[in-house]
Amino acid sequence: MILEQVAFASLAAVAVVTALLALLVRELVHTILWIAVFFVDLAAIYFLLSAPFLGVLQLGVYAGAVTILLLFGVMVTRKRIFSREAVTGIGPSSLALAALVVILLVAAATVVPNTEVPVRAYDVTLLSTTLFNQDGSWLLLLGLTMLGALAGAIYLVREGRE
Amino acid sequence: MTSLVPLDLLALSAALLGIGLFGILTRRNFILLLISIEIAMNAAILNFVIFGALSGGPGGVSGSAIAVVLVGLAATEVAVGLAIVLALNRLRGSINVAESATLRL
Repeated sequence: MILEQVAFASLAAVAVVTALLALLVRELVHTILWIAVFFVDLAAIYFLLSAPFLGVLQLGVYAGAVTILLLFGVMVTRKRIFSREAVTGIGPSSLALAALVVILLVAAATVVPNTEVPVRAYDVTLLSTTLFNQDGSWLLLLGLTMLGALAGAIYLVREGRE
Repeated sequence: MTSLVPLDLLALSAALLGIGLFGILTRRNFILLLISIEIAMNAAILNFVIFGALSGGPGGVSGSAIAVVLVGLAATEVAVGLAIVLALNRLRGSINVAESATLRL
């Protein structure tokens, strides 16, 4: 369908432009606002890819929690929130390396068909049974990792060590 | 039913990974570094969702299941990264990674 192609093309363009803007603007707060737009745009792409659960998760975790965490980080580490970053050089070697990686990845991706393939939605019930089978070992591991990370984060920011 | 070209989807994910890599290599502010890592991580998660959606059916669900776990891991990583930012800011007074050659606090 041509409509879905147009929708995906515009969403992809917004994703690339907002990701670039987030890294290139000089105000750190503007960076975080652009990255919030990027996260919401990716959620829209997930909805287009018939993965609405992932889209909602992206909105809640990334556009919500991660954005607030990053804003909090800027708020705490700056005397004034709107203070400009020093200009850093673009660096031709890093630009070339990133471009090389993109070219290699796209060249490797040409093995997939270059024609329209139907995107099939799945039942969310199936996703939950996949996540919770074998006593939910994946989610258990994720929870233990989060607990360990939380303990480590508290250790890093605790008071009384200089 | 939605139908999309797989090559376009993978090209978007490759472009996002390239932007993230570029940011990791050039930015010197720890928070910008974290944001670059998030962009690259989102490219990886997008890849899992793409292949899950393209294979469809029961097999395609595993792509989304891995993506759910990865979203949780990425959020954890931001929390630990910001803890490091706060510790660096308190002990060194700067979150420029070029000035912090060692992470020994």
